[in-house]
Amino acid sequence: MYEFLQYQVRDAMTADPIAISPKVKLREVEALFESHDFNGVPIVDDQGCLLGILTKFDLLKAFSFDAHALIPHYDEIMEQTAENIMTHDPVSVEPHLPLSRLLQKLVEMRTKSLPVVENHRLVGIIAREDVLKALRRAAIQHEIPAHEEPQP
Amino acid sequence: MTTLLYTHPACLEHNTGFGHPECPARLTAILNVLKTSPFAALEWRDAPQATDEQLTRIHPLTYVERIFARIPRHGHYAIDGDTIVSPQSSEAARRAAGAVCAAVEAILNGEANNAFCAIRPPGHHAEPHQAMGFCLFGNAAIGAAHARTAGGLERVAIIDFDVHHGNGTQAALEHDPGYLYISTHQAHIYPGTGRRDERGAGNIVNIPLIANSGTADLRHVWQQDIEPALREFQPQLILISAGFDAHYLDPLAELNFNEDDYAWLTRQILAVAQDCCEGRVVSILEGGYNLPALAASVAAHVKALMEVHRAAQRSLIKSILERQKAKRNT
Repeated sequence: MYEFLQYQVRDAMTADPIAISPKVKLREVEALFESHDFNGVPIVDDQGCLLGILTKFDLLKAFSFDAHALIPHYDEIMEQTAENIMTHDPVSVEPHLPLSRLLQKLVEMRTKSLPVVENHRLVGIIAREDVLKALRRAAIQHEIPAHEEPQP
Repeated sequence: MTTLLYTHPACLEHNTGFGHPECPARLTAILNVLKTSPFAALEWRDAPQATDEQLTRIHPLTYVERIFARIPRHGHYAIDGDTIVSPQSSEAARRAAGAVCAAVEAILNGEANNAFCAIRPPGHHAEPHQAMGFCLFGNAAIGAAHARTAGGLERVAIIDFDVHHGNGTQAALEHDPGYLYISTHQAHIYPGTGRRDERGAGNIVNIPLIANSGTADLRHVWQQDIEPALREFQPQLILISAGFDAHYLDPLAELNFNEDDYAWLTRQILAVAQDCCEGRVVSILEGGYNLPALAASVAAHVKALMEVHRAAQRSLIKSILERQKAKRNT
């Protein structure tokens, strides 16, 4: 487990993740969620700077009851663009953050993944599964025998 | 008068096993930065080994003997899951506590205003009867007791800014109002002690901070809690349990201090020391597990300790020049 304390976010994240532009329609976003096992997708500008995050929850939220319509209209909503429903300026982490601190953050925020940003540019995504994998990797590395007998 | 630096190569030989965060490389990183030119004025001194008399002011002799009996001839021995010792741990532990006693003596003798003890194993989790949390002997408490007993002081304060609560120091000193123990630490993490309502004989000031507290929170609690308690106590000597694991890059906790915060806090402590006890401060290394962050934080801390002398020298030179000028004019 000591090994885990040495890890940084960059050691466990998915680098260069799939990201979309803010103009992508929700219909396409849903197709992306269908074809990949994503819970959310980062939204970036032309330079790769992080603008927002769009999760399955945000999609659901677009269909929740509000003051605009008595019943949500599926086609109308799916024609909206990502920028309309994404979370702007989402919480992000830097690649040099200790992985132990990232773990705490995920637990405290009850979030499934966080974007990794360096100089405003999206460089990765770090998810619960990545941290679990890193914990497993750390646990099998060079553990000290728990109680060696003292030499008399 | 410069700042004294107490350390010893034996402290690098206390081996906690592969990958352990409390590793010799911590001290190597610190000593490497303190060997660079900005720290040329430091006066390096070898840490002596603490005597049984010094150790037993805090720990029963049976405990001291038990710890030394557990040191293996080769390999490692785990006192608990995290507190691991190796053949050289006896000497390292004696020199860690001995460094603090020697530094206290030197400061009380007026050989320097302040000192930094770059030592390991750390000490603030070691309770009188229990080694734990990487710690074998309560280095800071032993130094404080030495100042009281051998140095004849009545009031000694310890400020502990390690991210973990110093349960060992508190347990050792909480019944004696001649000591004041003030600790800032992250709430709800190891070792689980350090609540505000733990007040000892009215001589314990615990300041738990919630996760992600940083610069502004540190300044707030300094003004609100630490400085008033220190000034009311009027210490004759201030010890610092200087752990640097509240740094924002440290992997073992979630406070967000930075190097400038450590420099700022050090200057605040020194200012109180100037007012109360002629600037007498002995600082002792505790935790800090991100090596670059640790080295940079210690550098900021020690630089602040050294600056006091430069400021004092400048004002001394200024007063001499003014006197000469006044003489010429008469």
